[in-house]
Amino acid sequence: MEEIVNVEAVSRRFSLDSSPAHHPAHSFVSALTHASLRVTAGEFLAISGPSGSGKTTLLNLIGCIDQPTAGRILVDGVDTSKLKPAGMSKLRRERIGFVFQTFNLIPVFTAAENVEYPLLIQGVNSRERRERVAAALESVGLSARANQRPDLLSGGERQRVAVARAIVHRPALVLADEPTANLDTHNATQLIDLMHGLNRRLGLTFIFSTHDARLLEHTERIVRLTDGEVVSDSTTQGGSRE
Amino acid sequence: MSKFLLLAFRNVFRNRRRTVMTLFMVGGGVAGLLLVGGFFAYMYNGIREGSINNGLGHLQIFTAEHFTRDEVRVLDTGIDNWRQVAAAIKTGAHVRGIAPRIEFYGMVSNGVKTSVYMGSAVDPDAEKSLGFVTHITSGQDLDSKPGGEVEALLGAGLAKSMNVKVGDGLTVLAMTSDGALNGVDVQVAGIVNSGMKEYDDRYLRITLPSAQRLLQSDRVTNLVVGLDATKNTDSVYDALAPGLRGQPQNLVLKKWIDLATAYNQIHSLFNTIFIFIGIIVFFMVLMSSVNTLLMSMMERTREIGTMLAMGTPRLWIIALFMAEALLLGALGAAAGLVAGNLLASLIDFFGIHLPPPPGSTESMKFYVFHVPMLMFGSSLLVILSMTLASILPAIRASRLQIAEALSHV
Repeated sequence: MEEIVNVEAVSRRFSLDSSPAHHPAHSFVSALTHASLRVTAGEFLAISGPSGSGKTTLLNLIGCIDQPTAGRILVDGVDTSKLKPAGMSKLRRERIGFVFQTFNLIPVFTAAENVEYPLLIQGVNSRERRERVAAALESVGLSARANQRPDLLSGGERQRVAVARAIVHRPALVLADEPTANLDTHNATQLIDLMHGLNRRLGLTFIFSTHDARLLEHTERIVRLTDGEVVSDSTTQGGSRE
Repeated sequence: MSKFLLLAFRNVFRNRRRTVMTLFMVGGGVAGLLLVGGFFAYMYNGIREGSINNGLGHLQIFTAEHFTRDEVRVLDTGIDNWRQVAAAIKTGAHVRGIAPRIEFYGMVSNGVKTSVYMGSAVDPDAEKSLGFVTHITSGQDLDSKPGGEVEALLGAGLAKSMNVKVGDGLTVLAMTSDGALNGVDVQVAGIVNSGMKEYDDRYLRITLPSAQRLLQSDRVTNLVVGLDATKNTDSVYDALAPGLRGQPQNLVLKKWIDLATAYNQIHSLFNTIFIFIGIIVFFMVLMSSVNTLLMSMMERTREIGTMLAMGTPRLWIIALFMAEALLLGALGAAAGLVAGNLLASLIDFFGIHLPPPPGSTESMKFYVFHVPMLMFGSSLLVILSMTLASILPAIRASRLQIAEALSHV
């Protein structure tokens, strides 16, 4: 299978501004330490772990919205450590879709316009945009709500719009940071089913961070992080990769 | 592109209260500039037309010597063949008429007291035909063909100083063109109040033939040309100026603006004041808008982070903020244009009078002109100011660290 993500011994340290300069040992905090991970196309992968374990940091690094202190990451065959900011931006724009914990929809845009946005910044023509937005909204079951603004949608609907926005430009990879954290059980289950269905139907690669057991139950592969380190990498079919 | 502008437009109205406050501020600036500028335009127009109708005319013809040397004797730089010159010019397009003038000075005496006067000799019929206004407060204007004594108009200050009223007699003394002292008895036909005290304290007017007899000369100082409209001044000047060069005497043509010293000084002074007010409005809009737009940027940190995460080019973020500011500026300018013009119309309708300006004895009407160029300039000023104000917030927004922006609460 084609490799979509290759995380090679990646570390990420954050500086603590408040630390005294004469205490160099205490002036950084390690969010991620020598993490390695390979993801192939079509996988449905969960990154799990307690709060502060480095899940979001790892997703941010894979999603090219942060850069590692050490190590390197290849996304869709591109070595992101060699990319300039504009190149990272282009990679995100064309090859990656994002789903956020708090939906992060543009409040002044309708559901359809939110879904259209990634196509807009790619310069896709208006007719193609219309067709692809309609298809994306249909795939998440929200065609009837296309012209509603986010404030008139329920939490579950907003997150489905966010999923439609993440897949509309046909990315190689969809990254979802705690996508069910702000949803009730019913909506969370629906979203999990939706993402899983898109993964199977369209062959989309999903990587999401979660500590939601409901979501983990539907996941073939779970990477567990503790204190910034990968402590396990297992599949539900039994093949542990620890 | 249209979706991008739509996003900018909708963002403008996200926080309606703040937008309304900004529109008030920007619109207030534009309305203020329209009112001040419109009043200044009215004032310029009033001074210009007043000067022209009070006798300055649209064009004046002098000998070239008049501007190159002082007169040793009265009228020694005057125009000789003024009747032929006047006849030649009178047939020109847009020319309503020609009024010959003599400017002279001397002493005036009531038998007890003597005072200095600044004399002006005119052809009353020519002055009337050109619509030149003489502000006579008592008595009447000069008769072009008086039957008895020589008539004179006196400034109110001079009449008061000489203790004379309409019908009283005075002796006017002047040096003739030959350098001899000559005198003529005049009867006060009317008292004049021009509104300029210094002028009225010295003003004396007699008819042209009376002055020529007094000064022993057939010359005139200048010829005043009246046109059908001030806007034709330049075209008539261009048409007449070459013809004057062929005259026996070297004659020059002057436009009213070259002779209206007071108008030019006032115009320059009030233009400077207006520019100063414009600068204040510009910086007022700039400083307060920077604050407003920074607040807007802070409130949308997570949203901007999301847009950047999705791969939005940073230049787009800059363009978005600048477009929002530009739209806000344009809307504010539109509101200001409506408010300013409405207020101007109300002021013009009800009519407000201001106290007399320095050197004047008459109150001034507060009237506001609707000047298209001013509307355009004021709008451009605030739009430019708003757009400049957006640069700092726009750059800050574009430079946000995505990961930090996404976790912003």
